[in-house]
Amino acid sequence: MSLQVIINGIATGSIYALIATGFALIFNVLKFSNFSHGATMTAAAFIAYFLVSSKGMGLLPTLLIAALAGALISLFGEFVGFRRILKNHSAPTYFFVSSITLGTLYEGLVTIKAGSNFFNFPSFFKTPTVNVAALVVSTGDLMMFGISAVALIVLAYVIQKTRLGRALRAVSFDRDTAQLMGIDSTRIIQLAFVISGILAGIAGVFLGIKYTLYPTLGSLVVKGFIASVIGGLGSLTGAVIGALLLGILETILLAALGSGYSTIAVFAVMLVFLLIRPQGIAGSNVQEKA
Amino acid sequence: MNALVSNVLTQVSITLIAVSGIYVLTGLTGMFSLGQAAFMAIGSYVSGLLVIRAHVPFVLAALLAVAGATLIGYVIGYPVVRLRRDYISLVTLGFGEAIAALLNRMTTLTGGASGLTGIPRLVGLPLAFISAVLAIALAAFFKTSKYGRQCIALKGDELAAKAMGINVTRVKMIAFLLSVALTSYSGVLYAFYMSYVDPTGFGWKKSADWVIMVFFGGVNSLTGSTLGAFILSALPQVLRGLQNYRYVIYAVLVLLILNFKPSGLLGEWELTPRNIQQAFAKLGKKNTAKKEG
Repeated sequence: MSLQVIINGIATGSIYALIATGFALIFNVLKFSNFSHGATMTAAAFIAYFLVSSKGMGLLPTLLIAALAGALISLFGEFVGFRRILKNHSAPTYFFVSSITLGTLYEGLVTIKAGSNFFNFPSFFKTPTVNVAALVVSTGDLMMFGISAVALIVLAYVIQKTRLGRALRAVSFDRDTAQLMGIDSTRIIQLAFVISGILAGIAGVFLGIKYTLYPTLGSLVVKGFIASVIGGLGSLTGAVIGALLLGILETILLAALGSGYSTIAVFAVMLVFLLIRPQGIAGSNVQEKA
Repeated sequence: MNALVSNVLTQVSITLIAVSGIYVLTGLTGMFSLGQAAFMAIGSYVSGLLVIRAHVPFVLAALLAVAGATLIGYVIGYPVVRLRRDYISLVTLGFGEAIAALLNRMTTLTGGASGLTGIPRLVGLPLAFISAVLAIALAAFFKTSKYGRQCIALKGDELAAKAMGINVTRVKMIAFLLSVALTSYSGVLYAFYMSYVDPTGFGWKKSADWVIMVFFGGVNSLTGSTLGAFILSALPQVLRGLQNYRYVIYAVLVLLILNFKPSGLLGEWELTPRNIQQAFAKLGKKNTAKKEG
């Protein structure tokens, strides 16, 4: 196994890390798996495509618009799909169904606009590859890795070091008590959705560049889910580690087995992993409270 | 009967079988499977291939397909029923994607993306309809059995159910396997009705569709779930012109229900002789009140 494969794996893994952290963030705050995350990625990437890149503007404006669109869509979802359910103290299953429904809604809207066609982002880079020592790295991969890393470091800083981040952690830990301490939990939940939406938007554009842009692109969110299961549901650090491992593993299996069987193999690895260490790498075991 | 009506009714009956499985899983136990359609695919492909390639008689092929799917369900379920209920959705979602990729990839056996053709058309409306009635009866029987009541208990509070001596892991597994068996059987009927299957129809979208149907009609009521499935699966057939908008209309309807009537159309109401009597009695009272007033 060459170093080359590992480098490609890390590049893929960094996109998965964006997806997995966006997903884990919501899991942390509201304790449910947000299945609209994938469709949010797709919708944001499509908005950015139609508003910006199809008019010949570069990568940076595309990413900015996608992040903004992701944040807005996510905020809309919180308002339409989850706020009332939270207020009614409905069972957690309702969040779940609501998120699936939101996903269906976004995907349906994208399909109305785009049909089931494939779209290509324009090639953003003049030189397609860079040579580092004996390795050939595609400029796109390098860029994605760089931007993902910066985004995740900023996120870690915000969550660990700022007042808002502390409030977010407090609300994740115990919403009612945080509320009693004077934290506006509705605002904080909105903040979590905004951050998750920004990450989703960026990830959506990256996926669109790496593969192509199509309405069911969001199903790639599965990789993010698998990454956060491996990392430990609800743990942000675990999600990043899980995503990088998954990226590397997948690239190796892809080279060895081809596309169909490697999907099965990745799935089998996840099952075995759950059997041996169900709490994930990070070991944060989220139990349902009585 | 007109051919179009019979076609719609057959397809709705096949969907109803799958949805009765989802009711057992989601309605009774509170677990969500987003890879349920993959079990339908397994039912379709295994029975179809057995009949076409190995010339196995239809009934035997159907039995083998359901048994095979249930066995796979056991392997998937084994690590998952021990964990928080979120895991079953995540794992089955991954499973569904993996099965779709596999079906696309094994071109020589399954025909890949262009699908499996040449399945004899052995299923018509009568068989589909009778199967649907039996499937719903089975789900109703399960609900009133000991296991069904244990399912409802653990759905409400898993820890408390455990403390009351319910073997949570085992009950969850039984519910999961029953739903897998029903879904794969619907896959068998589907293959032998359409005489053609391809991997695109079995994505997580379909599984999500079924969950939505159950919630639309009422997650705590089998009657409601059946009604929801009936309305939502007949709707797109009736509104053929609006194909693209169909999912949007769906989603908006369900969001409205979730926000404003979380228990679904029928809530917990079930179609039992006693409830019907009561409903009629109420109706009668209203009428007499009107006459007097």
